[in-house]
Amino acid sequence: MDTPPPDGPGAAKKIGEYVFGVLVVALGIFTIVDTGTISVRNSANALGPRAFPYAVGALLVATGVAVLIATVRGRFGEEEESEDVDANVKTDWLTVLKLVVFLVAHILLLDVLGWMIAAAILFAGAAWSLGARPWWKPAVVGVVLAVVVQIAFGAGLGLSLPAGILEGVPLIDG
Amino acid sequence: MGNFGALLDGFATAAQPEYLLYAFIGVTLGTLVGVLPGIGPAMTVALLLPLTLSLEPTASLIIFAGIYYGGMYGGSTTSILLNTPGESASIITAVEGNKMARAGRGAAALATAAIGSFVAGTIATVLLTLLAPSIAELAVKLGPADYVALMVVAFTTVAALLGSSMSRGLASLALGLFVGLIGTDTLTGQARFTFGSATLGDGIDVVIVVVGVFAIGEAFYVASRLRHGPVHVVPVGGRWNTADFWKRSWKPWLRGTAIGFPIGTIPAGGADVSTFLSYAAEKKLSKRPEEFGKGAIEGVAGPEAANNAAAAGVLVPLLTLGLPTSATAAIIIAAFQSYGINPGPMLFQGENSALVWALIASLYIGNVMLLVLNLPLVKIWVKVLQIPRPYLYAGILLFGALGTYAVNFIVDDLVILLIIGVIGFFMRRHGYPIAPAVVGLILGPMAEEQLRRTLQISQGDLGALVASPFAIIAYGLLLLVVVGTLVLRFRGNRVASTSEAADSNS
Repeated sequence: MDTPPPDGPGAAKKIGEYVFGVLVVALGIFTIVDTGTISVRNSANALGPRAFPYAVGALLVATGVAVLIATVRGRFGEEEESEDVDANVKTDWLTVLKLVVFLVAHILLLDVLGWMIAAAILFAGAAWSLGARPWWKPAVVGVVLAVVVQIAFGAGLGLSLPAGILEGVPLIDG
Repeated sequence: MGNFGALLDGFATAAQPEYLLYAFIGVTLGTLVGVLPGIGPAMTVALLLPLTLSLEPTASLIIFAGIYYGGMYGGSTTSILLNTPGESASIITAVEGNKMARAGRGAAALATAAIGSFVAGTIATVLLTLLAPSIAELAVKLGPADYVALMVVAFTTVAALLGSSMSRGLASLALGLFVGLIGTDTLTGQARFTFGSATLGDGIDVVIVVVGVFAIGEAFYVASRLRHGPVHVVPVGGRWNTADFWKRSWKPWLRGTAIGFPIGTIPAGGADVSTFLSYAAEKKLSKRPEEFGKGAIEGVAGPEAANNAAAAGVLVPLLTLGLPTSATAAIIIAAFQSYGINPGPMLFQGENSALVWALIASLYIGNVMLLVLNLPLVKIWVKVLQIPRPYLYAGILLFGALGTYAVNFIVDDLVILLIIGVIGFFMRRHGYPIAPAVVGLILGPMAEEQLRRTLQISQGDLGALVASPFAIIAYGLLLLVVVGTLVLRFRGNRVASTSEAADSNS
C-alpha cells in the first residue's frame, strides 16, 4: 500500500530509509540473541520468560526485511504531514542538532544549576534555534516561564524541582 | 433500570462543583491542545499523568475524558482556519472547511463543526451508556485465551490497517513491543534487556516513551522542515445562524454519527476511516455534488460528526474490555493502571463502578461545556493559533522534559527521553506510524501475561488459544475486517484522488 511520492525522495532520505530498515532487523537479531541469555530456572510456566521476546525479535526481523524489500521496490515511507511542516524545503539538520544540543545541556545543567536555570536555557535556546529573533525575546520569555513553573510546582503542587545554585532562595527552593 | 440509577448517581458525582471544575480544566486543555498544531490529546494525557497522580482517580479521569473530547473539537478549528494548502488534505474537514473559510464563510464552517461534534458526541455517549454495561456483562465470562484473541485483533488493526504502509505499521508495533519487554519479567522476576542498568530494571515508564515519541519527536521533526514566516490564519467571516445552515447540516450530522460510532466501536480503522466514509456518503447523497471540493457545508458537518462519534465509540472497547484502539486510548489505559484499576468488564461491577459512571456522566457535561467553549468563544482559540512557532515548539520541548522529569525526578529518565525522541523523529521522517508503537508498548506486557496464563492452564497445549467460541469468532471477524479494510482502502484512495482532482480544477 506504499505509494511513491510524486517527485521521489532525495538520495539522503533513501539511504536513511535503508538504514532504518537495517536497524530494525539488527534490533530483532539482537533481541533473539539476547533472549538466549535470560535465565530460565525450573519455571512452572509452560511458557517461560523467553518465548514472548523470541516472538518480538522474530517480528522485528520480519517487518524490517519487509520494509527493506518495499524500499528496494521503490515504495518509500510517506513522511508525516503536519500543519507546521513545509514538505517542499530541504531537511534542516542544523536546527535539529541545535535542539538536541540544548536538550543535552538541559540534562547536564539540571542538577548543577537547578531546574529553573536549566529550563530557561532550554526554552530560550530552542526558540532561538527555531528562528525567534532578536535573541533577547526568547531569553526573557524563557526566564519568566521557568520562574513561574518552578514556583507553581513548589507552592501549588508541592513537588519541589531542584533549586541548584539558588538553594535557600525563598519560593524557588520549595 | 439499575444502570439508569447508576448513571444518575454518576451525574450527582460529576455535577459537584469540584468535579465540574476538573471537567472544565479538561475540556479547556483538550481544546487548547487540539487547536495547537504539534501536540495532540495523547501527548497531553501523558504529560499530565505524573501531575494528576496527586489527585484522586475520579478527578484525574474526568480531566482525561475532557482532554479526549476537547481535542476532537479543537482540531477542526485548526484545519478550517489554518491556511496551509495541501498539507492537511488527510484531514477531510480541511478540504471543505478551509475552502469555506477562504470564501468568507468561516463562521458557518466552525459552527457546523462545533454543533455537529456536540450532536454526535451526545448521541454517541447515549449509545455508550446503553451498550457498555451489557457488553461488560458478556465480557465477564471471557477467559485469558479470549483476551489474547482480542489483543491480537487490536495489534493487527492498529498496526496493519491504520497507516499507509502495512510493513512499517507492524515494524512500529514491534518496536513498541520491544520497549515493553525491557524490565523485570512479572511472572518469573527475571531481568530482560536491562543491560545491567538499575534504571531500566523497573522498565521504561510509559510517560517517558509517549512524551518522547510524541512531544520530542514531533518537535525535532517540525524543526527539520519548519514552515517559516508568519502564521496565516483565515479570518472568520459570515453569519452562520441561518435557516439554510440548519437545513443543510442536520442530516449530515445524524448520518455522520451513524457512520462514526460503529466504526469507533469495532477496532477497524478509527476516526480517520469514519471521516472518509462520511465524506463519501455526503458527496453521493448531495443534491449539489458540484460544490464538493469548493466548500460544501455537508462535507464539514458529516465528517466532523463522524469523527466525534467514533471517539465516543472507541470508549466502548476501552471501558468494557480494556482494549485500546488508538494511542490516546492506550494512554488512558495506562492512567487507569497507575491507580491500580484495570479497565475491563469488572469495571462496571466492583467498587470502581461509581468511578466509571461518574466518568460517563462527565462526558455529557463536557460536551455541553465544549459547545460553549467552541461556538461563542472561538475567537480566543484563533488567537492561540497565532502563537509564533519557535515559541510553541520550544514550549513543547520544555514541558515534555518537565513532565518526564516529574515522573521520578531522575535525570537518567531525560536521557532515555532524548533517545526515544530521536527515534520518534526518524519514525516520522520515514513514515513509521507512532500509534502502533504506543499500543504495543502498553498492550504488549498484558498480552504476554494472558498468553502465558492460557498456556499455563492448558499445560502448554496451543489449541487452548482457539478453543473458545469467542476466540474463534474474534479471529474470524479479524479476517473479515482485514479483507473489508483492504476493499475500503481501495475505495478511499479513489475518494482522495477525486477530491484532489476537484482541487486542481478550482
